[in-house]
Amino acid sequence: MGIFRKMISIFHDDWCRKCQYQMDETWRQLYMLPMRVGHYIEHNDANYYINNLYKVNCKADIPIGTYACGIIKYRCSRCGSELVKLSIFLPVRDQEKYEDTVYFNNGELDNFLRK
Amino acid sequence: MKNEKVKKINLIYLLSYIFVPIIIIALGIWLSSEFFPKGNMAVILCMAPSIISFIWWVFGGNFIYKHNQKKLEKQLNENGFERNHTFYGRSNMVIVDVVNGKIALLFFWNPFQNFIIPASRINRTWVDDGRGGAGFLEGSSRVSFLFNVDNVKVRVNTFTSNRRWRMDSDYILTGISKADMMVKVLEDARTRGAK
Repeated sequence: MGIFRKMISIFHDDWCRKCQYQMDETWRQLYMLPMRVGHYIEHNDANYYINNLYKVNCKADIPIGTYACGIIKYRCSRCGSELVKLSIFLPVRDQEKYEDTVYFNNGELDNFLRK
Repeated sequence: MKNEKVKKINLIYLLSYIFVPIIIIALGIWLSSEFFPKGNMAVILCMAPSIISFIWWVFGGNFIYKHNQKKLEKQLNENGFERNHTFYGRSNMVIVDVVNGKIALLFFWNPFQNFIIPASRINRTWVDDGRGGAGFLEGSSRVSFLFNVDNVKVRVNTFTSNRRWRMDSDYILTGISKADMMVKVLEDARTRGAK
């Protein structure tokens, strides 16, 4: 059962990495990432996001051709571990072109998200 | 260049690009048949112009266009043109100065002439997503943004392919996003230029 759950958890990014159960979504917010279409550069450093993300209310607030970043914070109700998921995408009219997903599970963005 | 009408094709350049190498090849063949019917000289006169012409047709145009792109960029930087957006298309380059409401244009088939004009001369801007086909065959092989300057239609491709892609494919969405962005930039420049 444990191995089976572990295998399934690979396909669920909102499952706890430690106990392989679905985590609760505790917070979500949309941000603007100031990178233009065709100039996306992958970043895995939390400081980059802390210094460059701008909070927005909806996709319409993001200028055309600029990337968006949806942040979702998860918390495991069993073990209490937390995970922050950054979905980076390009809003194109009524569609979204997903570019990258970045995870932080050591609380790197906690102070930033509290602002 | 401010009052000059935008011209996408320099007919003399286009015709000479195509026909001058053909004339040189024909001349080589004629010289060879008249004066050197046999031997190394005959081979050289027949082969060398053909090879050089082939290289010219494949790389010559791009080389001239790229060289003039760099020249124009340098010229704009020296003249205080604020390059807010530069779009390098395969057949034309569009540089927009949103702050001062100006645009600079360079065309592949008219590379020796650049156009630095007020953006207020743009009549209309729009995006062509190239959508075609029906049902599961619906898709596109070209996305571009277009604008009319002095009633001359300028098309700049943001995506081209030799196959049709679904409208929700990454390539098409990126192309549409680039085209939408450039249309917005041109509209902003036009508004500023009209003030």
